[in-house]
Amino acid sequence: MIRIIHFREKCVGCNACVEAAPFRWRISRKDGKSILIGGKERKNVFSLLTGEDEFLANISASENCPVKIIKLEKLN
Amino acid sequence: MMEKVELLSPAGSFESLQAAIQAGADAVYFGIEQLNMRARSSNNFTIEDLPLIKKTCAEAKVKIYLTLNTIIYDHDVTLMKSIVSSAKKNKIDAIIACDHAVLSYAKQMRIPVHISTQANVCNVESVQFYSAYADTIVLARELSLRQVSEIVKQIKRKNIKGPLGKNVKIEVFAHGALCMAISGKCYLSLHSNFASANRGACVQNCRRAYIVKDKEDEVEVEVDNEYIMSAQDLCTISFLDKLIKTGVGVLKIEGRGRAADYVYTTTKCYREAIDAFYNGSYTKSKIEKWLDELSTVFNRGFWGGYYLGKKMGEWADSAGSKATKTKIYIGKGTGYYSDKKVGEFKLESNQLSVGNDLLITGPTTGVIYTSAKELRVNNTPVDIVKKGELFSLPVPQKIRPSDKLYKLTHGS
Repeated sequence: MIRIIHFREKCVGCNACVEAAPFRWRISRKDGKSILIGGKERKNVFSLLTGEDEFLANISASENCPVKIIKLEKLN
Repeated sequence: MMEKVELLSPAGSFESLQAAIQAGADAVYFGIEQLNMRARSSNNFTIEDLPLIKKTCAEAKVKIYLTLNTIIYDHDVTLMKSIVSSAKKNKIDAIIACDHAVLSYAKQMRIPVHISTQANVCNVESVQFYSAYADTIVLARELSLRQVSEIVKQIKRKNIKGPLGKNVKIEVFAHGALCMAISGKCYLSLHSNFASANRGACVQNCRRAYIVKDKEDEVEVEVDNEYIMSAQDLCTISFLDKLIKTGVGVLKIEGRGRAADYVYTTTKCYREAIDAFYNGSYTKSKIEKWLDELSTVFNRGFWGGYYLGKKMGEWADSAGSKATKTKIYIGKGTGYYSDKKVGEFKLESNQLSVGNDLLITGPTTGVIYTSAKELRVNNTPVDIVKKGELFSLPVPQKIRPSDKLYKLTHGS
């Protein structure tokens, strides 16, 4: 399992995460910031547990994020 | 009679906004949400802050311009439109933009537009083109005084009018950071960190030191300066008379990512210099004084930019600031006794002695420079205040809880 954490507030809406993992990220038409699909919110931070098969795509979303607001954790 | 040039200052926070007003700005510019060129570095306002910004500036009779000058993707259009609509509703004086989607929507909404420097307007034909949308046009920062002056002359000669029916006004940068590339045409940050400068996410790689190495035999190429891409900061205060005489309508100070003391000091110096120009007291000794004052806040060393037609190569020789004064955060405000004009503070770090120079900043307070003439702990005069202590000192203006207190030291 992996956990994806998204500190959404600081998002600049550049679309980089969507390009890296389009099945997991989309841009909100309402506020122009990215949305972690299926993520649960707690105090403006979104997170999601998902399968390890998504790791590679999401690590590049995380690395490509210009404001470094996407974190990935590997859970055993 | 020449119309007096407008002084436009940056406001990246409520502190800076107050600082700009106190120091005598005629207008301020700021960004809200993420669609502006300081999306990364400044504490951007949100749409909800607009009414308070408008109220604060209306009371001070200061105009407000909203920067909406990144490139705009399809997914940004809804947000862009809601920002423009809120700007209209809150009677913001103009929107600073360069993307055609923004120009077009702002025109539709009948809100005045200023063409951002990101549009790189370098000639009068471009001015004519944008005049269908904009009443003020910010020129590219890479023009000489002669070129700026010629554009202003041509606007008059050709009678180029903006949507409001008046001749298009020209705005130029007077002070602040310069880009190593032509404004908005730099992709360095995008290549190295995937952080697009044109989305306000520039990581400022150009401000670092570099080694140039020959790939074939790994010989290092000798360069005079490791900071080969970091331009010094623009400062026009020593030839402000020439700049005003070009006929420009607005002088802009760069720095939405800078702190309130920077905004205060730069605005104050340029306010004094502009006033001095018009009342005939713009003198060499005053210029020296302003230059000294400007060097106390963040700077990478000064040069006159491209205005004087000098060759490029005025590079910073160090990382970060060359400010002659450094500020250290030491505590925060807790209360104010208006009758005695005494402020109460809590010292959170460092120590404070009688005679120290101080800076107080806050969202409503703005900027106050003062010194610790008298310090009291438990109402007893002391020479030194230590970490953790509550203390009071005379402050000429009202301070508020949550205001930040800094100690100023000389030398960086």
